[in-house]
Amino acid sequence: MATILGGIGTSHVPTIAMAYDRKKQGDPDWAPLFRGYEPVAQWMAERKPDVLVFFYNDHATTFFFDHYSTFTLGVSAEYPIADEGLGPRPVPPLKGHVGLARHLAESLVNDEFDMSVFQDLPIDHGCHSPLTMFWPPAPEWPGRIVPIAINVLQHPIPTPLRCYKLGQAVRRAVLSYPEDLKVVVVGTGGLSHQMNGERAGFNNTEWDMQFLDLIERDPATLTKMTHADYIRLGGTEGAEEIMWLAMRGALASGARKIHQNYYLPMTAAMAVALFEES
Amino acid sequence: MNPQLKGVENLPGTYLFDLERSARALKLNRFLHGLTAPEKRALFKENAEAAFDRAALSPEERRMVSALDWAALIRYGASFFCLEKLGRVKGVSNPEMVAGFRGESLEEFLKTRNVPGAR
Repeated sequence: MATILGGIGTSHVPTIAMAYDRKKQGDPDWAPLFRGYEPVAQWMAERKPDVLVFFYNDHATTFFFDHYSTFTLGVSAEYPIADEGLGPRPVPPLKGHVGLARHLAESLVNDEFDMSVFQDLPIDHGCHSPLTMFWPPAPEWPGRIVPIAINVLQHPIPTPLRCYKLGQAVRRAVLSYPEDLKVVVVGTGGLSHQMNGERAGFNNTEWDMQFLDLIERDPATLTKMTHADYIRLGGTEGAEEIMWLAMRGALASGARKIHQNYYLPMTAAMAVALFEES
Repeated sequence: MNPQLKGVENLPGTYLFDLERSARALKLNRFLHGLTAPEKRALFKENAEAAFDRAALSPEERRMVSALDWAALIRYGASFFCLEKLGRVKGVSNPEMVAGFRGESLEEFLKTRNVPGAR
């Protein structure tokens, strides 16, 4: 049977990919970010997951507002790297795990999560900007993904509680998959930042630290907050943190946070947290 | 009103992207989103008016895009994530766009940041 090894919460700021692609490891402005991902990369290399179930959001790159899904599940064997205006990043296409993806589709729909599905569509930085930091292609990706895109762009977006419950349903689905697969669940986005209006550039490190504590210890408190609470505390785009709640919902309640890093150089707080199942 | 958003209306300088803004700026956002396609980028670079015509943009939409008036574009209803595509095509970084939203120069904005070189 498939098992869940743990989870990763991470920011997905596009400059994380820029720093990786331009090899900024030695640049003092970026070194703290790279150092923060090293323990995660090491854990991944040691635990060798077969599949990452990846909660992320597209940035009006692949999906547009003429038809916008709340939750959409990728069921392809391969996903091209998206062109976001400068051509695709120089990394190979992402590989999908079709068997687990189809099982997730069936299991989630039968569990009353009426997912949209997509295939043969490109994936943008919401997924692969942080991915290269902890699961770099050398030269091929070390394993496969099952992407689940969540609408965090166009309100109404799913409630924090709904995202957490989706994670719980994903856990039930993964653990009922008959093949022996090692799975890690990832949720991207946040932490505090706002990318519109005169309030753009807003950050709140105190709230970010509370969030990093609650996501491990007391996610139920985070599910009771409204989007307005997240936006007030962490900016309009800080509300992307609901994708961390989906990740957390897919982990056992007693999962332990074994590493975290926080770096706020510019506009968005860049965090990563690693959780392990006991 | 969406109960999940109660209180957001009291936040200063915040333009939440909801169905009303999305509907108002649909043509503009479709044009911006289209810049992910190399052939549409090429047309925009070679002949902006032809690209605007094809997207049926209004005179004000054309003005805002041509002037890279980031503050006006966001107030009007552009999605930041669609504007990012325009930023990339025009060689404008996200910090520069954010400075625009705030009504600041890039230099002024960078003074408020922890690591101004990290961009």
